[in-house]
Amino acid sequence: MIKTIGIVGAGTMGAGIAQAATLARLDVLLYDASPEVLKSVSGRLKGDFRRFVEKGRISNTEATEALARIEIAKSISSLANADFVIEAAVEDLTIKREIFKKLDAIVPTHAILATNTSSLSVSSIASFTKTPESIIGMHFFNPPVLMKLVEVVKGKETSIETIRTTVDLATQMKKTPVVCKDTPGFIVNRVARPFYGEALRLLGEGVASVEEIDRIVKKSGGFRMGPFELMDLIGIDINYAVTKSVYEQFFQEPRFRPHPIQRQMVEGGTLGRKTKKGFYEYP
Amino acid sequence: MVARRKKASTSTRKPAFDPKEKILCIFGESPLVEEYAVHCVARSFTVHARINSTEKDAVSLLPKGAKAVRKGSPDSSLALELTNTSAESKRKNLMELDKTLPLQTLILTSSITITVAEQTTWVQHPDRIVGIAALPSLLDGEMIEFALPPHPENSATMRAMEFASWLGKEAAFVQDSIGMVLPRIICMLANEACFAIAEGVATSADIDTAMKYGTNYPSGPVEWTDKIGSRQVFAVMRALADSFGEDRYRVAPLLQRSALLNVVPGR
Repeated sequence: MIKTIGIVGAGTMGAGIAQAATLARLDVLLYDASPEVLKSVSGRLKGDFRRFVEKGRISNTEATEALARIEIAKSISSLANADFVIEAAVEDLTIKREIFKKLDAIVPTHAILATNTSSLSVSSIASFTKTPESIIGMHFFNPPVLMKLVEVVKGKETSIETIRTTVDLATQMKKTPVVCKDTPGFIVNRVARPFYGEALRLLGEGVASVEEIDRIVKKSGGFRMGPFELMDLIGIDINYAVTKSVYEQFFQEPRFRPHPIQRQMVEGGTLGRKTKKGFYEYP
Repeated sequence: MVARRKKASTSTRKPAFDPKEKILCIFGESPLVEEYAVHCVARSFTVHARINSTEKDAVSLLPKGAKAVRKGSPDSSLALELTNTSAESKRKNLMELDKTLPLQTLILTSSITITVAEQTTWVQHPDRIVGIAALPSLLDGEMIEFALPPHPENSATMRAMEFASWLGKEAAFVQDSIGMVLPRIICMLANEACFAIAEGVATSADIDTAMKYGTNYPSGPVEWTDKIGSRQVFAVMRALADSFGEDRYRVAPLLQRSALLNVVPGR
């Protein structure tokens, strides 16, 4: 059973994964290449845990204990003794390559290196290391504390032992792991594309309005949110970027083709809730 | 593009008449006919049902209280034609209903795989036809989706709304287009899941789990396919492919195979 994990990247996902891990009684070594991010992360973690207590999700004691399990690592070499490291840096292959090269050189040979990438190939990240059998994808969903799913992505060379340990770790973190192959968008970001793509086409073709489509999907289909409400929440720019990424990685497969409405809205700066205007207005 | 949020109104008022006096005539394929019959019988309507002749065994599945008929009664208050998988049966049923039923009787016809516009060319009285998004399990929802005919008559639209309220549902009207709104979105999700299963991305069970826990969908795409039926999902996808002629709507080979064998994809 894994006791301590290292996390590289202390942004939204890295910090979120650290919270989920410590609430499941794991010790965390949290590192970020940016000294500014590292400086601010403690305050952010405290604030998040306080909010969890206020919302009644956890007790005060649990929050204090969880916070005490997070150690901020000033250097990546502090992760040298970790048995399991999750990388949650920005989605940039060059940056990830450097991180994995460094980690590969310092961690013990049995250590597993996981990437939280949502859009890059795990096999391609593994190719930068000498131990591709120990490299795996561990894709958490935002916010990691609340979202149950973890996509465990097996690269071309990932060993069965690595998959098993990663599934166990996800379960230990009280998550629901699903194992999937290293293909563009993995499961969720790929299979969910028609939810947005068809809604946008229906709107573009004038079959129904934004409101009508959302109402039908919720009231007739039982979905918690309609596609347009969801795009507004996710951010129309983020949703557009994911669509473009899956589309490009599948060599312009028409099933994943983005819609001009998305681009128009991104270029027009109407990105959803965060700009107070997307498919709906948020006064 | 920008719409203001507003609360949807609910319409659950009780009909101010004796539902037993209303004959609802339901023609079409199994399991849609049985499903609609169950909902209508539950609301105390008198149901006359006929399941397409190729599916004789399904007659025994009609709920208690629904009467199996050979012809539509001229006293019918409303008729439904619920066939998605056979244009030939649909046309036959619709032409017969149009001939038998008095002019003022509204005919609701499933218009997911064939547009209302096309169906109106089969009948003599096109103004009394309104499309409905009839797919197995969709009546479990709180809303019924209708498609407008090319020349919608006010009274036809009103009566479609009335039918929805009889069943305690809200009504939504969309433009006449293959797949309508919810069936098109759900069938495309199911089709994509079939491509992913066939490519070995994950098992069908894991895809369902991922979509429910990763995006909060009420059901996974394979579960939807199970509830709706592979044949029905395939019929919708094939109609979308024919209608748009785009590669985007090509049917996943696994879905096609599952429809032929009448099994759930990947299970």
